[in-house]
Amino acid sequence: MSKIAEVKNLVETGKSKKVAAAVQESLDAGDKAQDILDAMIASMGVVGDKFSSGEIFVPEMLIAAKAMSKGVEVLKPIMAGDGSSSLGTCIMGTVAGDLHDIGKNLVVMMLESAGFDMVDLGVDVPAEKFVEAVKQNNNVVLIACSGLLTTTMPALKEAVQTVKAACPDMKVIVGGAPVTQEYADEIDADGYAPDAGSSASKAKEILGL
Amino acid sequence: MLTIKENLKEVMTGGNPERFVKQYEFMEMIMSVPMTRMKPPIGGEIVNEWGVTIRWPEGQIGSFPVHDDELIVIKDICEWKDYVNAPNLKHSDDAWKTAIAQAAAVNRKEKYVTAFMAPGLFELTHFLMRMENALMNFYEEPEAMHELIDFFTQYELDYAREVIDHIHPDALFHHDDWGSQISTFLSPAMFEEFFVPAYKKIYGFWKENGVEIIVHHSDSYAATLVPYMIEMGIDIWQGVMTTNNISELIEKYGNDITFMGGVDSGIVDKPDWTQEQINTEFRRACTNYGKLYFIPGLSQGLAISSFPGVYEAADEAIDNMSKEMF
Ligand code: B12
Repeated sequence: MSKIAEVKNLVETGKSKKVAAAVQESLDAGDKAQDILDAMIASMGVVGDKFSSGEIFVPEMLIAAKAMSKGVEVLKPIMAGDGSSSLGTCIMGTVAGDLHDIGKNLVVMMLESAGFDMVDLGVDVPAEKFVEAVKQNNNVVLIACSGLLTTTMPALKEAVQTVKAACPDMKVIVGGAPVTQEYADEIDADGYAPDAGSSASKAKEILGL
Repeated sequence: MLTIKENLKEVMTGGNPERFVKQYEFMEMIMSVPMTRMKPPIGGEIVNEWGVTIRWPEGQIGSFPVHDDELIVIKDICEWKDYVNAPNLKHSDDAWKTAIAQAAAVNRKEKYVTAFMAPGLFELTHFLMRMENALMNFYEEPEAMHELIDFFTQYELDYAREVIDHIHPDALFHHDDWGSQISTFLSPAMFEEFFVPAYKKIYGFWKENGVEIIVHHSDSYAATLVPYMIEMGIDIWQGVMTTNNISELIEKYGNDITFMGGVDSGIVDKPDWTQEQINTEFRRACTNYGKLYFIPGLSQGLAISSFPGVYEAADEAIDNMSKEMF
C-alpha cells in the first residue's frame, strides 16, 4: 500500500494514534503535503457518505474526524501561509434558545475536513452575533445555523433574515432534526442538508465550488 | 368493562381489547421516592446527585448539563474512579413515608404501581463526560467504559433493591435515549457489547422481584435495537417515533414487545398547538398501527407535555379514535 493510501485508510477507520506518524512517513517518502491533505479530505467524504447511508454511526465519525485533525497538525506547519487549500471561512452556531450542539459539532468537523476554516460560535447564538462574526473574520463565505428544537425554528428564521439583511450576498445553510428542505426554502436559506455527511457537498454546491 | 390493566394486557397479548390504551394511563408513577432527580429552577443552577452541574438559563425550554473543562465530572476516563461517586441510596423510613403512602393509595387492580428511573446507563455516560467524549471512549478506552457501565449497573441494582423493598412496584418506567430521530447513537454491534448484558441484569432483577412489565423510554429511532430490547426483557418500548417503520415493527415483533408512541411530540407539542392537528396525528397513528401491540401516545418521556393542554388534547384524540374504531 502506498503511504498516502495508508493515511487514507487510517483516517477512514479513525486510528487517531497512528495517523500522525503515517503522514510523516508519507511526507518522508516524497508525497506532497497538498496530496496528503486531499487524500484525507477524500476519506472524510467517504466517512460522510457512510454516515448518511447509515452504515456508520456518530462514534465512527467522531474518531475519523479526530484522526484527520491529528494528520492535519503534521501538515499545518508545512502548508502555513499557503492559503490555496482553504475554501473560505464558515461561521457556525446553534441558534438562540437552543443548547444542543452534538449535530452542530459534527457539521463543524465535516466542513472543516472539507477545507473550510471554521469559526464556531457555540450554542444559543443570537442572530446579531452571526453578523458581527462576519465582520470580525476574514473571507467569510458561509453561515451555518443549527436548530434542534421546534421551539427554536423561529430563531433559525430570524438568524437567516438578520444575516441576509446585513449581508445580502452571504450564503446561509441551515439544518437540525426538525428542519426540512421546505422550511429552509420558506425562511430563504440558501441550502439545507439532512445530516453532517451531506453538509460539506451541499455547502460547496451552494457556493458553486 | 375491562379494567385499564386488563385492557392493556389484551393489547400486549394480541387479544381483544375494548379500547385503545390511553398513553400513560396504566402507570401510576411513584415520583416521591427519596432519591428523586435534582433539577434546577428556571434561571438557576444546581449540582445534581452525580455531581453534574445543571443549568437552566432564562429563556430556554429546559435544563442542560454544563460540560466545560472545569465542571465536567469525568476529566479522564482512565481515572474515572477518582471522579465518580454514586448518589446515596440509604434514606430514613421517614423519608420514604410519602412514596409508601402514594403506592398504597393506588388501586392495583386498575393500575401498575410504577418505579421510575432516569437517567439510564447510556445517558449517564454522556452526562458525566459529554456526548462526544463518551462516544469516542467506546472505541478508544473500551475497558474503562465497561468498568464504568458495570459501576452504573451496580448502582441501578442497589437502587432497584431500595425501591422494591419500600414500594413493591408492579412496573418499571426506565429512561435511556439511544438515538437521534433518524439513527441510533451507537452501532447495533457496539450497543450489544456495552449495554445488552447490563440491561439484562437490571431488568432481570426487577422482574425477579415482582415487577411484571418493563417500559423503556427512548424517543428516537431505534428500530434496529428492537431485538435487543426483547432480549433485555423490555415489554413496552415507549417513545417510538414515526421515523421508525412502526407498522413493520409491530408485524415483526408484536408478539414479544408492544410499541407506545407513534405521535412525535416535536410535531404537535408547541405553543400554538391545535386540537385539529392532534386529532389528525392520532387518527393517522391509530389507523396505521392498529389495535394490537400498539399504545397511542406522545413520544415525550412522561405523562406531560411541554405546552399546557397538549397531553390532555392527546387523550381526547385517543378517546375519539377508540369510539370510532372499537
Ligand atoms: C442528546 C439530546 C439532548 C442532550 C444534548 C447534549 C448536547 N450537548 O447537545 C441533552 C440531554 C442535554 C438534551 C437537553 C434537552 N433536550 Co434534547 N435531545 C437530545 C436527542 C436525544 C438527540 C439530539 C442529538 O444530539 N442527535 C444526534 C445528532 C448527531 O443529530 P442532530 O442533532 O439531528 O444533527 C444532525 C442533523 O440534524 C444535521 N444538522 C444539525 N445541525 C445542522 C446544521 C446545518 C447547517 C446542517 C447542514 C446540518 C445540521 O447534521 C447532524 C449530524 O448528522 C434529541 C432526540 C431526537 N430524537 O433527536 C432530543 C431533543 C432534541 N431534545 C428535546 C428537548 C425538549 C430537550 C430539553 C428541553 C429537555 C429538558 N431538559 O427539558 C433540553 C434542551 C434545553 C435547550 N434549551 O436546548 C426534544 C425537542 C422537542 C422539540 N419540541 O423540539 C427532543 C427532540 C427530544 C424529544 N423528542 O422530546 N437533549
